[in-house]
Amino acid sequence: MTGRRKRLSMMFAAGAAALALTLTGCAGGADGGSGGSGASDKPLRVWSGSMTPINNNFSPFAVDTAAHFTFGPIYEPLFFFNQLSADPPTGLIGDKYSYSEDGTVLTITIKADQKWSDGTALTAKDVAFTFGYGSNKDPEMVSVEATDDTTVVITYSAPKFTAASLILGSTWMIPEHIWKDIKDYTVETNQKPVGSGPYVLKSFTDAAYTVEANPNYRDGAPAVKTVQVIGIDSNQSSEDLLKTGKIDWVGQFIANPDAITAGGRISTLNQQQDPTTMLTCSTVALGCTGPQTDPAVRQAINLAIDRGAISDKAFAGLSGVASPSFALLPRDEKWLSDPALAKSPQEANIAEAGSTLEAAGYTKGSDGFYGKDGKAIELDLFSPDGWTDYNDAAKLISEQAAKAGIRINNRTVSEAEYWTPLANGNFQMALYGVTQSLVADPYSTYERYFSTPATAKVGSEPTKGQNYARYTNDIVDAAVKTASATEDEGIKKEAYAKIQTEIARDLPYIPVVLNASQAFFNTKDFTGWPSEKDLYAAPLPYLSTASAIVLTHLKPAK
Amino acid sequence: MADNTSPEVPVRTGPTPTSTLAAIRIAKTDRTRRPLPRISGKLLTGIIIVVVISLFGILAPFFVQDPRFSGNDALLPPGDGHILGTTKLGYDVFAQLAWGTRGSLFVGVVAGGLALLLAILFGVLAGYFGGVLDEVLTLITNIMLVIPGLPLVMVIAAYVQHTEGLGAFARSSLLVAIVLGITGWAGSAVVLRATAKSLRMRDYVAAARVAGEKPLRVIFVEILPNLVPLLAAQLIFGVIFAILGEAGLSYLGLGPTGSITLGTMLNDAQTGQAVGSQAWWWFVPPGALIALLGTGLSLINFAIDEVVNPKLRLAPQAARNQRKARRAGRSVSENGAIA
Amino acid sequence: MSFYVRRILFYVITLWAAVSLNFLLPRLLPGDPAAIMLGKLRRANGGRPLSEETIRGITSMLGAEKGMTLWDQYIAYWGRILQGDLGVSSTRYPAPVLELIGAALPWTVMLVGVATVLSFVLGIAAGAWVGWKRGTWVDHLVPATTFLQSIPYFWLALVLVAVLSVQMGVLPIIGGYDVFDFPGGPEWSWAFFSSTIVHAILPALTIVISSVGGWLLGMRNMMVQTMSEDYVVTAEAKGLTPSRIRTRYAARNAVIPSLAGFGIALGFVVAGSIVTEQVFSYPGIGKLMIQSVQGLDYSLMQGVFLVITLTVLAANFLMELIYGFIDPRVRHRG
Repeated sequence: MTGRRKRLSMMFAAGAAALALTLTGCAGGADGGSGGSGASDKPLRVWSGSMTPINNNFSPFAVDTAAHFTFGPIYEPLFFFNQLSADPPTGLIGDKYSYSEDGTVLTITIKADQKWSDGTALTAKDVAFTFGYGSNKDPEMVSVEATDDTTVVITYSAPKFTAASLILGSTWMIPEHIWKDIKDYTVETNQKPVGSGPYVLKSFTDAAYTVEANPNYRDGAPAVKTVQVIGIDSNQSSEDLLKTGKIDWVGQFIANPDAITAGGRISTLNQQQDPTTMLTCSTVALGCTGPQTDPAVRQAINLAIDRGAISDKAFAGLSGVASPSFALLPRDEKWLSDPALAKSPQEANIAEAGSTLEAAGYTKGSDGFYGKDGKAIELDLFSPDGWTDYNDAAKLISEQAAKAGIRINNRTVSEAEYWTPLANGNFQMALYGVTQSLVADPYSTYERYFSTPATAKVGSEPTKGQNYARYTNDIVDAAVKTASATEDEGIKKEAYAKIQTEIARDLPYIPVVLNASQAFFNTKDFTGWPSEKDLYAAPLPYLSTASAIVLTHLKPAK
Repeated sequence: MADNTSPEVPVRTGPTPTSTLAAIRIAKTDRTRRPLPRISGKLLTGIIIVVVISLFGILAPFFVQDPRFSGNDALLPPGDGHILGTTKLGYDVFAQLAWGTRGSLFVGVVAGGLALLLAILFGVLAGYFGGVLDEVLTLITNIMLVIPGLPLVMVIAAYVQHTEGLGAFARSSLLVAIVLGITGWAGSAVVLRATAKSLRMRDYVAAARVAGEKPLRVIFVEILPNLVPLLAAQLIFGVIFAILGEAGLSYLGLGPTGSITLGTMLNDAQTGQAVGSQAWWWFVPPGALIALLGTGLSLINFAIDEVVNPKLRLAPQAARNQRKARRAGRSVSENGAIA
Repeated sequence: MSFYVRRILFYVITLWAAVSLNFLLPRLLPGDPAAIMLGKLRRANGGRPLSEETIRGITSMLGAEKGMTLWDQYIAYWGRILQGDLGVSSTRYPAPVLELIGAALPWTVMLVGVATVLSFVLGIAAGAWVGWKRGTWVDHLVPATTFLQSIPYFWLALVLVAVLSVQMGVLPIIGGYDVFDFPGGPEWSWAFFSSTIVHAILPALTIVISSVGGWLLGMRNMMVQTMSEDYVVTAEAKGLTPSRIRTRYAARNAVIPSLAGFGIALGFVVAGSIVTEQVFSYPGIGKLMIQSVQGLDYSLMQGVFLVITLTVLAANFLMELIYGFIDPRVRHRG
């Protein structure tokens, strides 16, 4: 499940989502009414993707292994950045923030009279402590200081305009009076968490844990009093439990959502945001080897694949259309420089793929496959075992490319072995999910995935960013730098236009589709869920913070 | 004596639970008087099932669509053009089934054969030579026998498949077959050892030895031919074990994802949410085919069992005759009363 | 007594072989499981550096330490095992492997234990009956059981869930107990106990259906053979009642070889239960095994393998003791 979480860790609304609320009276065998008489204390049951045995770990520093509800429902960041909208962030603990002109001093004001769940006052001192503690400490931070009970001033040695969502949106506030005594945060499992979020841990077992409303929560205890998070080992089991009315909220891929919503108890919301791409090791100068280092080969593959078929078959028709500009449409509409870059080709164009290769000096061999200088193109493409949609997409890509005379050998690796070659650059091509920017501005995508500082030579890991493609382009680097130092939309737009032209031509990441994120939730017993019209947060229980925002909006149905 | 060896060695219960006893039976039966296999209903059924499925696996792949042709519509139910419908990617299920059967048979035969070779090596040599060699080989056999099989296979598969530099071989059915073969021979070795030990004492074997025949020649010429029914039974058991083992490994994600087998088909169906999509035509046939193939092989094993162990066949026959006779007698007296 | 000494010696050697295999496997094969494991731990640790102690622990569990001979590594490895130190799991970092296994083991022992005994008793009883009724239509049931045996465990389990749990809704879908009714976890109450029973039905049923055929067949064949032994014929000639012959003479002797095979069969059931636990999210040790293999969590994988082996060996040993007690010949013959 961690993989799925990684792939879908952030999300945006794009394209049309199918809110299928079909009310048919009879649900063959599904026990839709287990909670009809439940009154207001009916617990909400959630599967957030945890497998059993669930780790008894509520440390906000254990990013990968702590229980999901550590992030949001129990511990909170200062602000909530809604990935689904272009609106400014919502204050949680924080009230407002401002940067100094050069972006190096960040002044944060927090709301007054807040309490930790143990009743202790939550003040700016706790916030200052958090920013100076453990892995929260930014090497570029010069000082952090609580100037009064509600104000924190952080000084950096470099501008931090673009890091707002990281600093303010995913740094989890911890109480100083507890964590000051914890010396080694890396092995701390924090089994009795004290946070500021809307819920507190009530009980834990390795099969399920229960959180209950936090009476000390600053907006008052939420209306849904008890939430139970259970561990399930397979999507099939979760689907079965959803169908039989045992659980109320999941975020998972279900190929046949109509079978779930037919009972009238469960509604669904599908959004597409994170691009699934073919990641290529693209630059010879950084140590990449293989035919994919030739942009012509990448361009030919881009033309040869049938994205419509991939979307229909591998993603059950639930995925969205990817853009080679890597701007999320329609959210980032205003940043798109050229309408021609709105969509990657949706059908295979074998003729053009062939002529692209021929123009670059490749010839078709007697076996029908292209090669150059007597050496046939042979590419290796891998995806992690069990990520069925990726595995299926890889199969189809390999098949479609073969039709265009490009040999792509597809294989799967275990998830554990998937990340190491990507990080070290020892690969030719892999299916890979690019994570969209948190805010309505593709800047962070360009910086993290396409700029030279975010990459590393083959053999070593990038220290910042995830430019695993080993892509390096002076024009892109200059444009990223220009965009980072300004808040002027005109200048940014111009910079983005340059970037978009370059990356759409060079294709270090060949876009495939926009991944689908399906949410299923019980609208019969609980109201207040996000909807197509009101996407106040993504309704996915595995998303940090967003899950807490959704929970505080919910009310038991009358 | 042969009988002495049997209780000490734990008997494997499985498709060949009486093999040890069967082995003893062979040793006792004079080879010239061994009855020819009688074609019983069970044997016939078993052979028909196995032959039909094998032919399907061998021949059908030549006539079906490319099993990885995704141009068909997705998740079509059985019907025109697609006897068993299509999968989520539009693969023809019937074509997949044909190739999958071939793949599973390959795994079964390779693993079963390898296991049999090892069983002969450990069992027959130990039984024939006796002494220290026997002690050592038997110890190894017994260790392999008590170490639980699947966890061992999982551990070995996990290490081997993640060994760098294997390339496509790491996920091939050949590698899976080898792993299953080297972990699945111990039960057969126990049975073969007991038989070889007793055969060694037979006059004709002793005569060959005294005549100065080389031990290997004695083993190959005098002993192994006598073990043929038993070897066949062990091979069949090995094949079933390997086919089921491959399916289990595939379900756990350790299968030969590079090839098409019935196990990988089931795994695809499971991860492709065939059950949730109610695509029974994708999910049911591979499982049913495995079960059917296993049944066919077991039925043949039954028949072999009855050949090497005539009591199994004769006793029910005798009971049947007895009952028939009793019934006949009764009807006679009834008739008599009427007359 | 020499029988017991020899058997104990055998089990000690087997145990030693299993532990040594565990030690050798990661070192024999090319590639570096220790490096993979450390890489995973680093990721689990949020990319931050690991403590020296953790690194040393992992390398001594899995890979060559610099400047140590294989022999020294082997000794160090044994030292850790004997102290009960099986390392730290990477998929559940920083939970110790021993703790994870400790929580899971009772569930598996219960499930596998009950299912095996159930399957044994059913199979033996049915086998005795079928063997007694040899030569009648009942004989045709025997081949049918081979079909049950040939169904892949997980496939059967998935079908059972789809039919009994989802379609009919009579049995629970996952778990070892009802996590909705008992959010606080296991407790000492009748309600909890019955919940565990209800949740064990389907996994146990899967194991029983798949394994009962083997017992039935073995018992039936032994029964058929025993029925033609001289002492049974004599008993019949003496005019003893059929039920007495059936139970006191035939079945009693026929069951002995099945008992001997009990321990070995356990190995097969354990294998089946690993797969079954995965389907039912059953909180047992098999599921840990699967997760460790899928996540390449070598410490956990080795730990679970050791514990499974240990448990099966213990069960085997117990059965041999019982068997030796029932059948004195075993103790006296070489």
